[in-house]
Amino acid sequence: MRYFAGVDVGSTQTKAVLVDEAGDMVAKVLVDTGSNVVKAAERAFLEAVAQAGTRREDVDYIVGTGYGRFNVTFGNDQVTEISCHAKGIAHVNPNVRTVIDIGGQDAKAIKIDATGDVKDFVMNDKCAAGTGRFLGNSAEVLNLSLDEIGPRSLEAKVPVRLSTVCTVFVETDILSHLALGRSVENILGGVHSAVAARVVALARRVGIERDVALTGGVSRNVGMVRALEHHLDVPIYVSPDAHFMGALGAALFARERAMAVAG
Amino acid sequence: MAEKIEYRGHLHDLQKDLMNDYFDQMTRSAQGEGSPAVYLLISGNPVELLRAFDLLPVYPEINALQTAVKKQALPFIQKAEELGYSTDNCAYVKADIGLFYSGNKAPMATVPPPGLLLTNYVGCNVYLHWWEHLAELTGAPIFDIDIPFLRSLDGEPSREDLQYVVRQLEELIPVLEKISGKKYDPDRLREVVQYSLETGEYWAKIKMMPQLKPAPYDAYFDAVTMMGPLYALRGTKEGRDYFRAAYEELQKRVALQEGPLPEEKYRLVIEGPPPWPYLRTFRDMFARWGAVFVASSYSTVGGLWEFGFRHDPSNPIESIAMHMLKWNLTNRNFLQRYAQLKSYVEDWNADGLVIHSVKSCRLFSAGQGDMREYFARELNVPTLLVESDLEDQRYFSPAQMRTRIDAFMESLEHHKLVGHQR
Ligand code: SF4
Repeated sequence: MRYFAGVDVGSTQTKAVLVDEAGDMVAKVLVDTGSNVVKAAERAFLEAVAQAGTRREDVDYIVGTGYGRFNVTFGNDQVTEISCHAKGIAHVNPNVRTVIDIGGQDAKAIKIDATGDVKDFVMNDKCAAGTGRFLGNSAEVLNLSLDEIGPRSLEAKVPVRLSTVCTVFVETDILSHLALGRSVENILGGVHSAVAARVVALARRVGIERDVALTGGVSRNVGMVRALEHHLDVPIYVSPDAHFMGALGAALFARERAMAVAG
Repeated sequence: MAEKIEYRGHLHDLQKDLMNDYFDQMTRSAQGEGSPAVYLLISGNPVELLRAFDLLPVYPEINALQTAVKKQALPFIQKAEELGYSTDNCAYVKADIGLFYSGNKAPMATVPPPGLLLTNYVGCNVYLHWWEHLAELTGAPIFDIDIPFLRSLDGEPSREDLQYVVRQLEELIPVLEKISGKKYDPDRLREVVQYSLETGEYWAKIKMMPQLKPAPYDAYFDAVTMMGPLYALRGTKEGRDYFRAAYEELQKRVALQEGPLPEEKYRLVIEGPPPWPYLRTFRDMFARWGAVFVASSYSTVGGLWEFGFRHDPSNPIESIAMHMLKWNLTNRNFLQRYAQLKSYVEDWNADGLVIHSVKSCRLFSAGQGDMREYFARELNVPTLLVESDLEDQRYFSPAQMRTRIDAFMESLEHHKLVGHQR
């Protein structure tokens, strides 16, 4: 059996996926990127090889993606995460036309067709508001884990209105809401709504067309999914492997390119 | 993937020599020799009038961008920020003010003090304030030429607009007489305008050449090389000779079907000024994909020759007025700007449009979000909007820039592979 790998090196987490000749996902691994990006990429890849119960030699082609794509030094090629997310999502759900991807430090909206061809895309520029970092900072001030904030935000009765969209200043803003006696749930409701508003404004620039999918690390946050649905007024599709869409797309590119090389 | 070999010809070397001469003249003027300097602005510049009095045109915008290309602008920008200029101010202004406070010693020349601050107010209102600051700092007199914005839908200036500008240019003449100590000589002006006419002829032909495939030069990265002489030397024999030489060199390339890259894989149009401090990096990001720019709106801030403008020696002042009013990008309304880019995409046969939005320049950047939507959604032209700055290197993030450009090129590649037609 031949395998094809995609390694998605993000700012906080690195993902590796292996697909087989049929394009089915046979392994997926997630590790923290940490400070040694090259090592993280390698570790994720080797763990995926082990998970698939195969050997490194059986992996024909490797594509790196994400900000650290050039750090996948053992890879054959690089493809941007925009193309990879599009390809990955089209593979798992061909009805998707708009992909919203929220990662640790960036957010993007991608318009695609049924084959995963990118029609248009926009990304946040030079500002981390509307990204996972905004949520992370908020969780930190509230002394909560990232897994907790989503579900608890759903219990908000009267979400607070944050007075800032700045990822740094949000901390003082949250503290002042706490001082005013607002509940943690209401504050979290406000935080999620603020991020959603930013992301939706970005996504509207490419035009929202159904179905809409959320990918990237933040897709695991149910509070964010609900907040986006609320702001967009459409249901959002979240694949159980949403977090791995970039790596999956990269693996599918690897498969395609290996086959092209083989003729 | 295409290699990063670029075209470097005689026209690049000659440009360098001519601009060095020009900068030497600036330094000499600063030392009190040679001609007095008159500061003016690029957009729709009436440089012919200065040349007719043998005055030396000094463009602070050129000084700022030359400093930025050499990656030496940041200390000047920071100097201006220390003085209280906001981070949001136009970075050309900050680099220039910082330069003034650093003894006017730019990397390529010592900038002479202005004998006159000529504000050709074409489009950007920053011009007015910038020159006011310089007047305050240098004590030099200001002469404002107020150019009415094109207000009609067809983009034609009214007869009153034209008369209004002509009158101001006529009022400028005695001011220039006083500064130069020379009498106004209409024949001399006609001679200067004749050089500009011929320069414009060559330049217009050069700008049309990239309609061919392959384009013989890059209409962004190589065109900016030619923009220096177009402003600094227009109206002179050297300027005209330069453009004749450039034209002849490019003609040969057309005959040989040579392009700026080993292979022209993609043809793109670009809107907006370049990121001067990262010009090279920016260029390589496209070159590695085999992408060539076949047209650029930025190369028309000084005039729209390829769309028909010519100076007229039989009617010199009026033709200068028309240049300022009608025939340069910055005085045009949005519909005209859209139409220009649309024509580039269609008539120059481009695969897509890149919009380089510049943080510190409102004149260019305002409305580019809508522009992106118009091209991407209404015209179905693959369009990429990227953001950085023309002067301040702190706004250029290579990794982010590259991701956007690569993603855009990947999708163009895909379009080509599957034979998608617009
Ligand atoms: S704002 Fe733009 S057009 Fe105006 S002076 Fe600055 S760079 Fe030039």
